[in-house]
Amino acid sequence: MSVLAPERAPVLDETTAEPAVRSRRKDVGGLVLAAPFAVLLIGTVLVPVLYALYLSLFTERLRGLGFSGPEHVFVWLGNYLAVIEDKAFHTGLGNVALFALVHIPSTMIGALVLALLLDSAVVRLRRMWSLAVFVPYAVPMVIGGLIWAYLYSPAIGPIKNLLGFDPLSPNAVLPSIANIATWQWVGYNMIIFYTALQAVPKEIVEAARADGAGGFRTAWSIKVPVIRPTIFVAVVFTVIGSLQVFTEPMVLKGFTGTVTSTWSPSMYVYEAAFVAGDNGRAAAASVLLAVICAVLSAVVMRFSTRRSR
Amino acid sequence: MELSPTPRNGGLSRRGFLRASAALGAAGLAGGCTATAAPPGATKVTIWSWLTGMDKYVAAFNTAQRDVFVELRVIAAGLSGGYAQQTNAIRAHNAPDVLHVEYQGLPQILLTGGLRDLTADMADLESQYSPAAWRGVRPDGRTWGVPMDLAPMVFYYRKDLFDQHGIPLPRTWDEFRTAAAAVKQVDPQARICSFPLNDGSFFAGVSWQAGDPWWTAQGDTWAVDIAGEGTLRTGAFWQSMITGDLVSGVVHGTQDWIAGMHDGRLWGLLGASWSVGTLGRSIPKDTGRWAMATMPTWNGKPANGVQGGTAFGISAESRVPQAAMTFLRWLSTNPDVPKIGSTFTTPFPAHLPNRAVARQAYKGGYFLGDPVYDVLDEAAKRVPDWTWGPNALRLFSTISDTFGPVRSGGITLPDALRKIQQHAVADMRAKGLSVREGKAA
Repeated sequence: MSVLAPERAPVLDETTAEPAVRSRRKDVGGLVLAAPFAVLLIGTVLVPVLYALYLSLFTERLRGLGFSGPEHVFVWLGNYLAVIEDKAFHTGLGNVALFALVHIPSTMIGALVLALLLDSAVVRLRRMWSLAVFVPYAVPMVIGGLIWAYLYSPAIGPIKNLLGFDPLSPNAVLPSIANIATWQWVGYNMIIFYTALQAVPKEIVEAARADGAGGFRTAWSIKVPVIRPTIFVAVVFTVIGSLQVFTEPMVLKGFTGTVTSTWSPSMYVYEAAFVAGDNGRAAAASVLLAVICAVLSAVVMRFSTRRSR
Repeated sequence: MELSPTPRNGGLSRRGFLRASAALGAAGLAGGCTATAAPPGATKVTIWSWLTGMDKYVAAFNTAQRDVFVELRVIAAGLSGGYAQQTNAIRAHNAPDVLHVEYQGLPQILLTGGLRDLTADMADLESQYSPAAWRGVRPDGRTWGVPMDLAPMVFYYRKDLFDQHGIPLPRTWDEFRTAAAAVKQVDPQARICSFPLNDGSFFAGVSWQAGDPWWTAQGDTWAVDIAGEGTLRTGAFWQSMITGDLVSGVVHGTQDWIAGMHDGRLWGLLGASWSVGTLGRSIPKDTGRWAMATMPTWNGKPANGVQGGTAFGISAESRVPQAAMTFLRWLSTNPDVPKIGSTFTTPFPAHLPNRAVARQAYKGGYFLGDPVYDVLDEAAKRVPDWTWGPNALRLFSTISDTFGPVRSGGITLPDALRKIQQHAVADMRAKGLSVREGKAA
């Protein structure tokens, strides 16, 4: 590839001083330009993360009736142990694992198929279709959740009659939650895939066609492999999103008793912080959740680099 | 494994950080304040509240006198964030002078040590309050709050339908079961009322009536009795209603519920006094259909539950506790307050002379049968002893989580109650509280 690099002109003696000054100026300019980002990163990400780590090591101890107020006690990893031993946290992890099993494949496959259809020549009114699929992503999550909650409600929504069972009953509530999330995220991922497909070199596609590949074969053997890195990034985001699922079950909780207050790990954190008032346990649970997210993302990325080699 | 007190430096810097971050939050939210200028020389009192119409009360107070100027910030309601915000502000030493507490949330807020003991300031008012409200602000015999209103539960029912089909108004729970069966017989789609399993404060209100308080402060120890005889009896009764398919499970306040109330699928509601206003607003076309009665009783012994009710506390760190007290006494006992309240809701003040004012101001016209304030007064008189515990708010989620599988037969209500009792005791002990299981001695 070095052939393409332009040959460098020899540097003349009288100009040697100038680049040094310029590069120093460039350093300052770079710092100034990076400062807003750095300040925001430190203020809104690093400091809160460190503070959460700090909080997770303390708890409040009370005595007697408790009305004389709490004492702050350093408990080492006590909060982490409490979370790890808590059955409610396990159930939450189990729920998001099942949720992810339904949500990730349906979102990814749905988005990919729609993107390939849009990219193929068979679709008319391309803009209208892409907008129609994308619109749910533009609906605020709580509003989307409420719309679905009304649709699911047995007496006023049509879905119970269509399906023949109550979508808010204990066995059906998990797919119902996954359905809301998938409805919301298919369009978003479709746009990402579609954009990546636009960048697939025309000559490869034409070469495939010249070799006699049909539309389906071209899509499966040419287009999908080319955009594989994009797909893996989307999978990572969806994995993280699934682990952190919060809004959909939180909204449905107001409509049915089958969604518990600790249905997902994020709801567990919310319950600990905002209902039980136990900031130490809430911080420990959120740190654990972040670690699980990081590990799973790393696993998916590892898998993706191995596959593309 | 514990290093007791936090090193001093750490404590101070943490406090400073919290104060700074709370101040940032306050600055960001300053737009939400009622910010007409304070008269010169007035003492400024800040209050956080989510009470409907509080802006109108505050405005009236600020115009009525010039010594104290109250600044209101409306915060999210109770468990939607209000309690968390107030608790964190107390922890950050940045609490407003006046805090919004419901009777059920008061002991949990008290765990922060952030409220001022009002025993001496309030002593002269005891005889003017409904005894249930007075007890509500005195969980351990000291006064921690100023009662605002009380929310006794009553049975709202479709008097038109009950009369039309000759079903007598149930006065005991046994009669209630008979009436429920009769309703279902008349219309297989209809039920006598809903028994929502995801609402812990509702179940607490229904159990309250049975006369076995879930908590009692005994000296320095909490007696915890969530699976007591009265509560188990309540649980067994509703379990039989659910098993017999005599009661709906729709969640109160949802669109489903409103639709059911309006189109005759629900013939009744076990609800608090504030449902008087809710019904008028949610189903205004139902004028002349509904009536109210005190809750059915266990074998005719008069008793009634409570669901909700507001009080206000003063921050232990307030620099202007006397001015805050001046405002709270006005808010709780001045006859102007229920007059203002009656313009947009149906207030049921804890202060008895003010309740008479609210009764006068009530327009009526929506309900059939006994006068609204007669029923509510009688219900309030029947409220038995009860103390909320320091984990009541959390217990409401535990109840809703544990009751979840009841309808599908995964657990029965009495079994769930025994589980909840264990959970509550373990939770309180883990916090370091002194706990004794079972009925108060």
